[in-house]
Amino acid sequence: MMFQIDFKSGKPVYLQLADQVRYAAASGALRPGDPLPSIRPLAEELRLNRNTVAKAYAELESQGVIETAPGKGCFLAENNSPFTKQVRQKLLITEIDEAVVTAHHMRVDRARFLALVNERLDYFERKSGATQRGD
Amino acid sequence: MHNDIPIIEIKNLTRRYGKTEAVNGLSLSIRPGRCYGLFGRNGAGKTTTIKCLLNLLRPDSGTVRVFGLDPQRNEVAVKSRLAYVPDLVAFYPWMTVRDTLEYQAAFRKHWNREIEAGLLRRFQLDENQKADRLSRGQKTQLALIGAICPEPELLVLDEPTMGLDPIVRREFIETVIGAYQSGEPQPRTVFVSTHLISEFEGLIDEFSIIEQGRELLTMEADSARDRFRKIRARFAQPPGSFELPGALNVRRNGREMEILANDNSEQLLEKLRTLHPEELRCESLSLEEIFVASDILKKATL
Repeated sequence: MMFQIDFKSGKPVYLQLADQVRYAAASGALRPGDPLPSIRPLAEELRLNRNTVAKAYAELESQGVIETAPGKGCFLAENNSPFTKQVRQKLLITEIDEAVVTAHHMRVDRARFLALVNERLDYFERKSGATQRGD
Repeated sequence: MHNDIPIIEIKNLTRRYGKTEAVNGLSLSIRPGRCYGLFGRNGAGKTTTIKCLLNLLRPDSGTVRVFGLDPQRNEVAVKSRLAYVPDLVAFYPWMTVRDTLEYQAAFRKHWNREIEAGLLRRFQLDENQKADRLSRGQKTQLALIGAICPEPELLVLDEPTMGLDPIVRREFIETVIGAYQSGEPQPRTVFVSTHLISEFEGLIDEFSIIEQGRELLTMEADSARDRFRKIRARFAQPPGSFELPGALNVRRNGREMEILANDNSEQLLEKLRTLHPEELRCESLSLEEIFVASDILKKATL
């Protein structure tokens, strides 16, 4: 998987890495059991502090997105959420709220917003379907 | 114990050259395991500070502690636990690359031969080459090998990439990340002084900006990028004058505005949206931009 770091995005670098793994998992670019690059080569490639990469992986591991096999490295977990449904919903609501606020400022109305959400859901479903079929 | 004692602690350091105060009341504290950047313009006092850490210069006043020790009184104890790459490296001209490394290894309790071989290969250095025939980039590479092989607790780099070509710089930084900063089993600390900030951006987790021998700003890199943002707005017509309370700096140019936000980009964006800009963008300042704007930013953190 290819990572892209943007120091100007305002998002902490470790979160950018973690989010990109989550995105790759949601879009099927990474499938359960797929290995993640090990910390040292990834840090060198992106010219990042190793601690930053380690912090991203630690967060993903604590959230059950990835698993560490001692001596073998990190892999995308089979079932990638250890949280209860309630907690998962709460986390998701925070993200949705942000999008709702942005939509308001961009004067995107409810119908258009919902249509966009559906479009995105379809997009991810297609993408992950395609990777599973090996297209 | 490792987490309690700062690896480097400088309090009210002052060092003059004649009447010039190169360092003037500087205080810094660096925790173990950090990659700490010391940013400043030429003549800001970076090298003088570093030389005081290494007992290459004696402070006129103030205290300097490295590993909790006074480098003047415990010079050997301090130096045996750190390595230093200066901006201009010099070797004995008659020695070969191999001789130079053996000579340096002779002073060290520990020398990792595996790392040495790996780096010689990576940099494609010829072990039989005489040191005075090496290019500037190769000399820096040789100095870096000499600094990394003892696997010291603290790596001090003073403008290490100045005067090097971009490829050598890149390799230099990758090497510091890869071979040195392993974090295990003991946290290793990197202290790097530079004004070429952008290439160290991903490596630095905390930094101080110094000017005229004084500390101007000390922050965590992530929180600095989160706090200081640049908003760009473009309007259909040049906007009339209006207040932007809390903006650190506002630049106007016809229909365009550039605003520096200090932890208040949301409020400023909110306010700007009410003026219906054609375009509105917000991005973080990079560490280099923070350095350039540090005079303005300093006011914000007082």
